[in-house]
Amino acid sequence: MKQQRKAALPRYGEYNCALKYIVEQGFETRCILPPPLSRHTEDLGARNSPDLVCTPFKTTLGSMIEALEAGADTIIMVHGACRLNYFGELQEQILRDMGYTFDFVNLSLYNTGKKKDILRALKVINPHCSMVKAGKALYEAAQMVEHLDDTTAMYYQNCGFDPSGTYPKIYRKFISDMYAAQSLADIREGYRSACHAFADVTLHKPADPIRIGIIGDYYTVMDPFSNLEIEQKLADMGVEVHRLMNITNDMLRSGEKNKQAKIREFSEYNMGASSTTDIWQAQNFAERGFDGLVQVKSACCMPETDIMPVLANLSRDYAIPVLYLTYDTQTNDVGLMTRLEAFYDMLEMRKKVTP
Amino acid sequence: MDGEKMPAIGIPRAMLYYRYGALWEHFFQSLGLSTVLSPPGSRGILEAGTRLAPDESCLSLKMFMGHVDALVGRCERIFIPRYSNYGYTEFFCTRYEGIYDQARNIFRSSGQRFITCNIDVQNGSPEAKAFEKLGVELGFSPRQSRHAWHEAARALEQQQKTAEHIQKELAGKPGMKVLVAGHSYVLSDPYLGRPILDYLESAGAVSLRADALEPETARKACARFSPTCRWITSEEIVGGVLLWKDRVDGIILVSAFPCGPDSMTNELLIRRLKGKPILTLVLDTQSGMAGVETRIESFLDIIRFQKGEMV
Repeated sequence: MKQQRKAALPRYGEYNCALKYIVEQGFETRCILPPPLSRHTEDLGARNSPDLVCTPFKTTLGSMIEALEAGADTIIMVHGACRLNYFGELQEQILRDMGYTFDFVNLSLYNTGKKKDILRALKVINPHCSMVKAGKALYEAAQMVEHLDDTTAMYYQNCGFDPSGTYPKIYRKFISDMYAAQSLADIREGYRSACHAFADVTLHKPADPIRIGIIGDYYTVMDPFSNLEIEQKLADMGVEVHRLMNITNDMLRSGEKNKQAKIREFSEYNMGASSTTDIWQAQNFAERGFDGLVQVKSACCMPETDIMPVLANLSRDYAIPVLYLTYDTQTNDVGLMTRLEAFYDMLEMRKKVTP
Repeated sequence: MDGEKMPAIGIPRAMLYYRYGALWEHFFQSLGLSTVLSPPGSRGILEAGTRLAPDESCLSLKMFMGHVDALVGRCERIFIPRYSNYGYTEFFCTRYEGIYDQARNIFRSSGQRFITCNIDVQNGSPEAKAFEKLGVELGFSPRQSRHAWHEAARALEQQQKTAEHIQKELAGKPGMKVLVAGHSYVLSDPYLGRPILDYLESAGAVSLRADALEPETARKACARFSPTCRWITSEEIVGGVLLWKDRVDGIILVSAFPCGPDSMTNELLIRRLKGKPILTLVLDTQSGMAGVETRIESFLDIIRFQKGEMV
């Protein structure tokens, strides 16, 4: 009998807990978790990637290499609306050229618009997998993603105002609970205890704190390693950090059509991939009176570059400052910190002048 | 312009104009509308575009914005179609999707009017319907618009057939043959790609173009080679390379900095095509011809050496 597969997906923020849940509970396949992203991952990826491809390609490639080194024999890759759709095929070719032997399940290949084809991909991963179990796991993983996004949002909005330092501990415990979860009950229990623990902490929040909204490309904005923990850095300065861009808001509870109608003045049609969501979120932050916006994008990201003129107009119309940040594999902490501090100082001064 | 009437429609001579331009021009012509084209690409146009477009966007988009800038105030409306997709698995680079809205935002303060034509099959707007809507918006009946589109589509097909015919004749010529692969709007642009083709000619090589093939045939070839490559223009180029590769001595991949689809498809071509000399040229706003010429010259030497013409 063939040995059981050891499947792996590249690292993507903390969402690997949900991906692991689907693979283990749904497809009943062993899931190898690649090591957390590091400089080493990025170097590995960048060394073996084409130069002009966007940074997420390099990071995910590096993570795949680390997964293979950690013993995985099957790599699963997702698809998307931009270049992401082509990531899988090129990454497979690069890994094979490097000499690795493995099975590659490229979901982009099965993404033909017919639901039947996606089911075929499941049968490739595990021919004996039960559709009922897979469906159930998918639903439960979606719940996990919602809880994760919810907790993350709560964390970054408040952790800058917690002098006791218990917030990070609660958040880390919640994340490890999610990785360990085996059932829906585990997921709900982890979420509930995190909520209770957050509620018990006394916050020292001023009546009108500086609020910054973060938007950006699908990978970089959601992955703390890739954006050099920008949310944590801002929160540590005493900022209420809001990020609407997450899997929950963009996929699970989408409402794309209404968004396009609301931003009609700036963008009549979808400008590709995450752009409609991004523009809508920027407008939403501006209307709610936020102090500033930060656009987080990887170098060479096509849709995010395209919306820069839109954001510039939005910034003018709503009189809201925007900080444009581009991340490549060379970006370091110090340069980012300088820019964030300058941006923060400017917002603080502005707040004093304009009540 | 006093007394004189401005042309109704302005068409930027950049990006997809080099792929679908015949369709657009014939469409407006058969409706009896006057059109004006922006001047051929030049250094000045690129510089104007570089000032207007976001710093990180691709060279072709900067060129495009320069062309739009050259048309502002010289026509009633500037025509910028939005090409999104022809179905679930046939789509375009996100840049063409956003280009209309991007131009609208960049030129917002100029007061210039724009008009688009939204080709987006996934959201219920196929090409025929999109052009019908465009015609109606310009004040013609749906019937007239449909008729104009049919004629225009025939003209485009004819143009593609002629281009393929010319290629086949070129392929029959004696001498060293080099296949130049790149987006039509890079290769046909007088400032970006033309100098490369001209230099090849002056160096005694016959240059064939990967993008001058009947699109359907090229895309079928690409689908077998790289099943998840679903950008229509890239499929056409990759397919062109595959179909011509055995009849040429070397391949030059020309790309504009930092073209998204090219960064990946070119890498795949280099990795999967063995046994043919391949040269990759990436053009950017800085590129002078001297560096490019040196690289092509040594590339041609390699081919000659391989063929045993140079010892």
